[in-house]
Amino acid sequence: MFKKKAIAVFGIFLLSVFLLAACGGGENESGSSESSSGDGDKTVKFMHLWPEGSSAQHHKVVNEIIADFEAENEDTTIELEVLSNEQYKDKIKVLSTSDELPDVGMTWAAGYMQPYVDGNMYAALDDVINKDDFVSGTTEAFSVDDTTYGLPLELNISSIFYNKAIFDEYGLEAPETIEELNEIVATLKENGVNPIALGNKDAWTGSMWYMYLANRLAGDEDVLTQAINREISFEDPALVGAAEEVQKLVDADSFVSGFNGLADEEAKSMFMGEQAAMYLIATWDLPNFTTNEDVPQEFRDKVGYFKFPTVDGNGNTNNYVGGPGVGLFVAENSDVKEEAKNFASYFVEQWGERAVTDVGIIPATKVDAGSLDLPQMYVDVLDDLNAAENITLYADVQMSAEDAQVHLDMIQALFGGEVTPEDFAKAHEEALEQE
Amino acid sequence: MNKVMSNKWIIFLYTFPALLLIGVLIVVPLILSGYFGLMDWDGIGAMEFIGLENYITALQDSKFWESALHSFLLALFSALSLIAYLAVALILASKIKGANLLRKIYLIPMLLSSVAIAQLWIKIYNPSNGMLNSILRGLGIENPPTWLADPNIVLFAIFIPIIWQYAGFYILIYYAALKNIPESLIEAAKIDGATPLQIALKIKVPLIMNVFKVTIVLSIVGSLKYFDLIYVMTSGGPNGASEVMASYMYKLAFASYDFGYGSAIGFLLLIITLIVTVIIQKLTASKDKIQY
Amino acid sequence: MRRIGYILLYVALGLVGVFQIFPIIWLFMFSLKTNQEIFAGNPFALPTDPKWENYLKVFEGGIGTYFWNSIWITVVATVLTILVASMATFAITRMKWKFSGLVLGLIMVGLMIPIHSALIPLYNMFLNVNLIDNPISIVITYATYNLPITVMILLGFYTTIPREIEEAAIIDGSSIHRLFFRIIMPISAPIMSTTVIINMIYNWNEFVFVNTFISSDKFKTLTVGVQNFIGQYMTDWGAIGATLVISVLPIIIAFLFFSDKIMEGLSASAVKG
Repeated sequence: MFKKKAIAVFGIFLLSVFLLAACGGGENESGSSESSSGDGDKTVKFMHLWPEGSSAQHHKVVNEIIADFEAENEDTTIELEVLSNEQYKDKIKVLSTSDELPDVGMTWAAGYMQPYVDGNMYAALDDVINKDDFVSGTTEAFSVDDTTYGLPLELNISSIFYNKAIFDEYGLEAPETIEELNEIVATLKENGVNPIALGNKDAWTGSMWYMYLANRLAGDEDVLTQAINREISFEDPALVGAAEEVQKLVDADSFVSGFNGLADEEAKSMFMGEQAAMYLIATWDLPNFTTNEDVPQEFRDKVGYFKFPTVDGNGNTNNYVGGPGVGLFVAENSDVKEEAKNFASYFVEQWGERAVTDVGIIPATKVDAGSLDLPQMYVDVLDDLNAAENITLYADVQMSAEDAQVHLDMIQALFGGEVTPEDFAKAHEEALEQE
Repeated sequence: MNKVMSNKWIIFLYTFPALLLIGVLIVVPLILSGYFGLMDWDGIGAMEFIGLENYITALQDSKFWESALHSFLLALFSALSLIAYLAVALILASKIKGANLLRKIYLIPMLLSSVAIAQLWIKIYNPSNGMLNSILRGLGIENPPTWLADPNIVLFAIFIPIIWQYAGFYILIYYAALKNIPESLIEAAKIDGATPLQIALKIKVPLIMNVFKVTIVLSIVGSLKYFDLIYVMTSGGPNGASEVMASYMYKLAFASYDFGYGSAIGFLLLIITLIVTVIIQKLTASKDKIQY
Repeated sequence: MRRIGYILLYVALGLVGVFQIFPIIWLFMFSLKTNQEIFAGNPFALPTDPKWENYLKVFEGGIGTYFWNSIWITVVATVLTILVASMATFAITRMKWKFSGLVLGLIMVGLMIPIHSALIPLYNMFLNVNLIDNPISIVITYATYNLPITVMILLGFYTTIPREIEEAAIIDGSSIHRLFFRIIMPISAPIMSTTVIINMIYNWNEFVFVNTFISSDKFKTLTVGVQNFIGQYMTDWGAIGATLVISVLPIIIAFLFFSDKIMEGLSASAVKG
């Protein structure tokens, strides 16, 4: 009897301790949670989204850069937090509501970062950036009103990757026009091969197809960007025409079955499992087709790529759909803003060459490809980039978050045949006009 | 007796911990989210008070109502499936051979996290390489459905794993309740010549009616705010065909930077659930007064 | 006739059983496959070249700390929930007072809050009391968010306890604490085991709160171990499978243990009820 009572009392005691700990903390609320201790040592919190398990190379290079930085700046410590992509986005969202962003973190460009800039969360980085070091267009994507708020780390352009073995088997060659692409699709279908892998559950994948078609139809005008910037209407003939072209491709069964329910990951695996002959994706997947030892050498040797073809004789194949992926931001309210800025700029400096040689991504900083020992596909892509005349930034990155949702939903509806090209354009026009 | 059982101090002592936890960690956030619903706020920077505008917008938002309809359908199917779970529990709790082993096996899926369950069902539904379509093609069906990609099917395709995921949970509760029925009652009925079916329907089921009613509330409330598998498997797509209230709310607050509006939707979700719960309790209240 | 009925019943039960046990077997095979096999291969196929290194990767990823955190956070939060919920349910169902309905209503509201609505306010509150990146925030959040469902499950049971049991105890001169701890709690063992299982599963698999409130590696739990293999553009599914297998084992063991407790509880209540 006594024993049990003691348990009850203990239980309640335990609970009270928890709660007292909770409430007691409230009294020293002013005690800043930023951990900068008194003896001159500064701690810079850095959050990134390259976990060791999935991005071993990224993770390693990041740690090396941090170690070098700490060695050169003995009074500064970098405190690291690593999350996966989706978790990272969600957490940043929560942190920002309490104005608790890490001192240095990762951001996406344009539409994604606009609210943070408007909310005065990101520090201006003009004083630490040397724009000449970057491929043109990349820093612009991280700028608002000519002030740069992000240091771009990567640059991606999309191309159609294809399985050379499958193409050879049926006597096919990389197409230069959409008509040739259609013929390839027809031949592959006849032979029971899935022509194009597409995982449109994520919708940004389908968006790349749409954007390229619009770009080619419009010739040298970047109609999509103009429409988003409200210089022209979204009901422009090229933008409606591209939607029609999308539906033609869908009607010709160009894409794998059930693409609207497939994640990009699943579509990629179909391409890499040689169950589909083509796959439109950006250069971030280059390691899978070149250096990644986990992918059979046999398959890697079979992969080639071609530029998105012209449509009805229109379009410039030196125009690309792509854009910088992530960049670094520095929090405006950081207690250690100077150190954070130093770290961010140091990081970007160190990142460039190592990104391409060790990690296998195309950095946003200029790289002298000639001096590096790179797989041929990298050399080709870097050449393409040098010859690029225009890069249209991914629509869902360019648009405000709200419009991007409309765009992605409409892309799914368009590919699924649930909406006419006219209504597709109209829905965009209405969403963009609302701003 | 009554004096002991209505001792104010004891009542306070026994309910205070629960009330404190719920008050601080559930009710306060709830009020705050209702309050954020009155704001125009992207979750970053300054808020602007806009009164009931978000709530009014929500009531006119066809996407919200569509997602609400999907949530209600899920609630309906979840509630109906309880009957099947009860039947399984009745079988498992009867004295058939191997019931103990079967019970353990039946509850296994419940132990898996949503991540694992989502991956399993994505592989089942994959249109080209999926388990389901492999079987259907084996049976000679040329063009099996594309499941998660088909806007007419996706909602029902995704209900199945959700309902399946919770099967173990309800079977477990029913099983424990059935096992709690005094053996003497069942023995007495047997002596009176009742068949197993009669015992099940006339004695066991009425005796666990209270538990059954609780599970109806649990399944409906759980369905109305359901999020996990839908988010992982379809993200509410294609084009909103499998959107439910909670996933819509998440999209607004976390993807569209419309935190004020998202909070308003979240708050409406709660109000709707509350109303539905009250209605259910009224409907299921029996003549012999439930003690709570 | 009756025999055929039984055979049919067992065939049906067996089929359902196969379907229910399949996920675990599938998960194990999944954990030994490459991304290619997982997505593009025949889902029923055995892994061609079992990748045991997936498990090695997981252990190298430093799963030990996560594992320990998962265990103690799960246990503490579960004990806390069960104790607090049992006490509250006892007071609500067995004692006589005016506001019991109201209190129950309040607890039930807790069932209805979507966690993404609560996330940002909760973060802000914990930040203000310095509990961010402190496991206490996780423990009390888990305990609280499981309270309503635990109370609801206990409720259906507590209402069926015969009044005579209490009356007898009180007449014998037992205090109310003794009644609760020595009589009511033991006879509710089957249903308590049920709620323990449910609480454990929830706490063990939770990741939204832990991801949001915790930033130091030393406080993170196993569900975060899964996140480790999800990349910006690429995900290592085999390793995720291995993490899932490793993390489901303790819960299966605990489940088997508590699931037998339900049976033991039966004998206890059969004597007393």
